[in-house]
Amino acid sequence: MNKPLRKALLILLFVGASGPVFAAGSAEARELLERMATAMSQLSYQGTFVYVRDGDGAVETMRITHVMDKKGVRERLYSVSGPRREVIRDREGVRCILKDSAAVEENMVVSDSYFPELPQSLFDNKVSGYQLKTGGKARIAGLTARLVTIRPEDGFRYGYDFWLEEETGLLLKWVLFKRDHKALAKLMFTELVVGEGVDLAELESESPAGDFVALRTISPAKNVAVDSTPRWQPDNLPPGFQLASHRQEINADGVFEHMVYSDGLAAVSVYVEQQGGEAAMSQGISRMGTNNAYSTRQGDLQITVIGEVPAVTVKSIATGMASAVASN
Amino acid sequence: MSKESLEHLSSLMDGEMSRDSGMFLTRRLSSDDSICETWERYHLIRDCIRQPGGKQLVTGLSKKLNAKLEAEQPPAMSVWQRKQWLKPVSGLAIATSVAMLAIMVAAPPPGMIPGTAGDSALAQPANQPFVSPNTLPLAPVSQAASFSSSPQTQDQRMNNYLLRHNQMARTAGRQGFVSFVPIVVTQVSADAVEAEKNPQNTQAGIELESIENK
Repeated sequence: MNKPLRKALLILLFVGASGPVFAAGSAEARELLERMATAMSQLSYQGTFVYVRDGDGAVETMRITHVMDKKGVRERLYSVSGPRREVIRDREGVRCILKDSAAVEENMVVSDSYFPELPQSLFDNKVSGYQLKTGGKARIAGLTARLVTIRPEDGFRYGYDFWLEEETGLLLKWVLFKRDHKALAKLMFTELVVGEGVDLAELESESPAGDFVALRTISPAKNVAVDSTPRWQPDNLPPGFQLASHRQEINADGVFEHMVYSDGLAAVSVYVEQQGGEAAMSQGISRMGTNNAYSTRQGDLQITVIGEVPAVTVKSIATGMASAVASN
Repeated sequence: MSKESLEHLSSLMDGEMSRDSGMFLTRRLSSDDSICETWERYHLIRDCIRQPGGKQLVTGLSKKLNAKLEAEQPPAMSVWQRKQWLKPVSGLAIATSVAMLAIMVAAPPPGMIPGTAGDSALAQPANQPFVSPNTLPLAPVSQAASFSSSPQTQDQRMNNYLLRHNQMARTAGRQGFVSFVPIVVTQVSADAVEAEKNPQNTQAGIELESIENK
């Protein structure tokens, strides 16, 4: 058999053998993630974890108690180090205590778990721009964990590592990373108990009830139009991103539009706002935690794009939107 | 702190401690400042080991800041005014500043945060009233994103944008797992910068340039 023919046969053999293997790996990864989503919401667990964020260098140790029983879901999350901050969620709603003025980010917990589920689109294999695969095993918090990686296929989105406890599927370690696999943020349990081992007494805060502040959801105002057609669409969107939702509001300064574009996993918000009595926004790139934002102005309209995606993604969408506004 | 306590801390970090002992130690962590500081130090050491030659670690800033605040002259006010205003404002200023600085591992370079180019709370003249460098809203916990005409600072607007993004993005299928953890992670500050003027000075700007140059 001549050399080129032999090479071609080898390639065919490799493709034929590895194709189903890759597909199976992806299906297994999806299955494990689905199991994790169920475990994080349906099981009772309690543990201490460390959260480390690159960029602003935040390092925090936290304690979580998640109980699922006849009384429904009850959760308590509090910081072990640093200023005292605590969040409790139960049937009565979400309330928190902050010994510093922290940030409005507290509002983000409203009505959802601290460990929210992954989108259904991921399990339905409807996300684009990512590769799912399973990896090796490691020992974390004294437990055996299995790695599932969601790897970005281009530089327009971030990737995720999930280390899942082998028996229960609970998340033991999480890493948000850039395309080169450089970590942007990490979360890792140092200790975790599951089921009957959970101490229910830890759901009770040591702080008096009067110290807590109830959180409320952002309720849509009466003058909000949901899912209407946006006045503008960015001229060029990064591959895989599509309009997922749209809201339009009318305030004293004029119309304000909020569009969300998603690739099924990551999401980016686009705000187009009439400039009124607000302070002028700095133009260009900003960073808040693991979120990037890009602001630009077109006439009397302020365009701001924000999301947990690379800087190039928010800039691309913002300039595309500015171009669309200019040509309209 | 006893050697035994240090060993227990080390075991907790390695996940090798029994459940009961772990719970006991965690309770101590929330009430004992010295053991809490050691716990933070252990994590910083570990991060250093993982990132040799990495960023400069900043510790003990809360104490330095408090000492500086105590040394400052209070602004000229009547006794009545001081009782009514100074106490809560200075308390809030300490809280916000400690929140910003206490857990900082790497201080952002000068110029990354608006209004802090080369200056800081610690560098303010002693005869000037203390002004917190943290420009985040002071009572935000139940504040919904608002786009009314009331003037907002840039950081407030960015915070509101981020808040609304997280609310809306979830319905759009956002993965968002760890975006919920920052509720108890001290917000260091919005790294809002005029990147178009000095894009090379910001981490996001550097990343953007490196990607675009590829």
